Amino acid sequence: MADYTKTLPTLDERTDAESLAFWAAAHDHKLVMQRCTACNHIRWPIGPVCTQCLATEFEWQQMSGKGELHTWVNFYQGFHPEWAKESPYNVALVKLEEGPIFLSNVVADDDDLAVGIALELVFDDVTDDVSIPKFKLAS
Amino acid sequence: MATTLKDKIAIVGIGKTPQGTIEGSTALGLGIEAFKNAIEDAGLEKEQIDGILTHPGTTSPEGATHYLRFAQAVGLNPRYTHSLVMGGGSGGALIQSAAMAIEHGLADYVACIFGDSARTGGTKFGGSMAGGNALSQGIWGMFGPHANSAMGARRHMALYGTTSEQLGHLAVNIRNNANLNPDAVMYDRKITVEDHQNSRWIVEPLHLLDCCLISDGGVCVIVTSAERAKDLKQKPVYLSGMGQGYQAISFENDDWWYLEHQKSALADAFAMAEATTDDIDVAQLYDNFTVSVLFWLEHAGFVGKGEAGPFVGEDRTALGGELPVNTAGGNLSESYMEGWLHIYEGVVQMRGDGGPRQVEGANLCLTTGRGMNLNCSNALIMRNDG
Repeated sequence: MADYTKTLPTLDERTDAESLAFWAAAHDHKLVMQRCTACNHIRWPIGPVCTQCLATEFEWQQMSGKGELHTWVNFYQGFHPEWAKESPYNVALVKLEEGPIFLSNVVADDDDLAVGIALELVFDDVTDDVSIPKFKLAS
Repeated sequence: MATTLKDKIAIVGIGKTPQGTIEGSTALGLGIEAFKNAIEDAGLEKEQIDGILTHPGTTSPEGATHYLRFAQAVGLNPRYTHSLVMGGGSGGALIQSAAMAIEHGLADYVACIFGDSARTGGTKFGGSMAGGNALSQGIWGMFGPHANSAMGARRHMALYGTTSEQLGHLAVNIRNNANLNPDAVMYDRKITVEDHQNSRWIVEPLHLLDCCLISDGGVCVIVTSAERAKDLKQKPVYLSGMGQGYQAISFENDDWWYLEHQKSALADAFAMAEATTDDIDVAQLYDNFTVSVLFWLEHAGFVGKGEAGPFVGEDRTALGGELPVNTAGGNLSESYMEGWLHIYEGVVQMRGDGGPRQVEGANLCLTTGRGMNLNCSNALIMRNDG
């Protein structure tokens, strides 16, 4: 796993405190998002205030991991030398049960993909420190 | 009723450079060349230009302070100036800023300028959109501008039955227009729907021939009041309608991919112009990818939601069809000037100067732009004296 050469999150402890928490949870195989404690809105991507009521306070809420395939694409063009080695590969938008849309990959044959199909969360442990949330076809 | 800018402001000068691969070119130099051509076209002296609004190219090192470098380079101390970075939404938004400044007396003759050496200048359009941050989309392999449009195309296909072949018809019709435009990069290269279908995938469901060019070039548009326009060299082209719309929230919005913000840009433009889609004779619709044209057609109301696939598939956007689209070849086949040539061509059509690609008797042109991460949109409705 030490030889993972594709893009990894770059974390700045000063400016990315919330993102550090996100990746720490992912390391524990949990997908978490910020829920506003004032109005309960779940916001995504990570932000400094609630996009609905502008309140600052929030709690991390674990997502159920259930969602559906909103849409997806298959990359053929090699924009990144390491990713290009896997072309074609998919990038998907997953509509989570809780509301937000999460950009990810679906670990499945492309022939099995269709808009609206049910998906469930899996984690790809790419290094000792980083586990990336991905999705597979719901069992 | 509130007063509006309808027909109070006119485009009186247009200038451009050669387009495509221009070895040794710089963003600044290309912008200056277009500026010189535009003031000559307008019949103005350089010193009459008292407003300078610029869209820094992707290869402009000055970034958001580009306006100062440009004004210094052409030896002007403007009364009104700024730069704007909205990608393909910049040109239309700057012209609207110019219109407001002119109407309120902050400037008399505003030059709106873009130059970029994106093709030879080493810019790559494949970087991760989210940059190198903690949740970079590159972590999931998401790179470049194609994929967002491909996401929308896939969903449009899934919900409405839109097909790649229909997009192919659109690409061919836009290319056919470029084949009538000697200044177009693809002037002498014809394509068929079969060529489109056989072109390689870039990001499926978008083929190579669904994608815009990457180009060097510059474009300048000069704007003044309709009153002043009467005394100038060219037939005035009036700004009858204008509007803008933005989408900053995306992943909390199920319909982000449908780009609803374009609807408000278009609705405002049509309302100001007191026009309907039936009145539009020709349209220059921002085509970073073929699928974008479908969204514009639906949002403007030329067709209903989900109905643009058959509309383009039946060649109804061809020259001679009911709504000729991108008569000079668009981003796909003329040159990728981030929408600035769409504005240029709108003026050409309203002047009646389109030659073999002129839409006969055209009096009203819709021009649209959109940029950044699909989130900055605007619309202009141009009118001639009839």
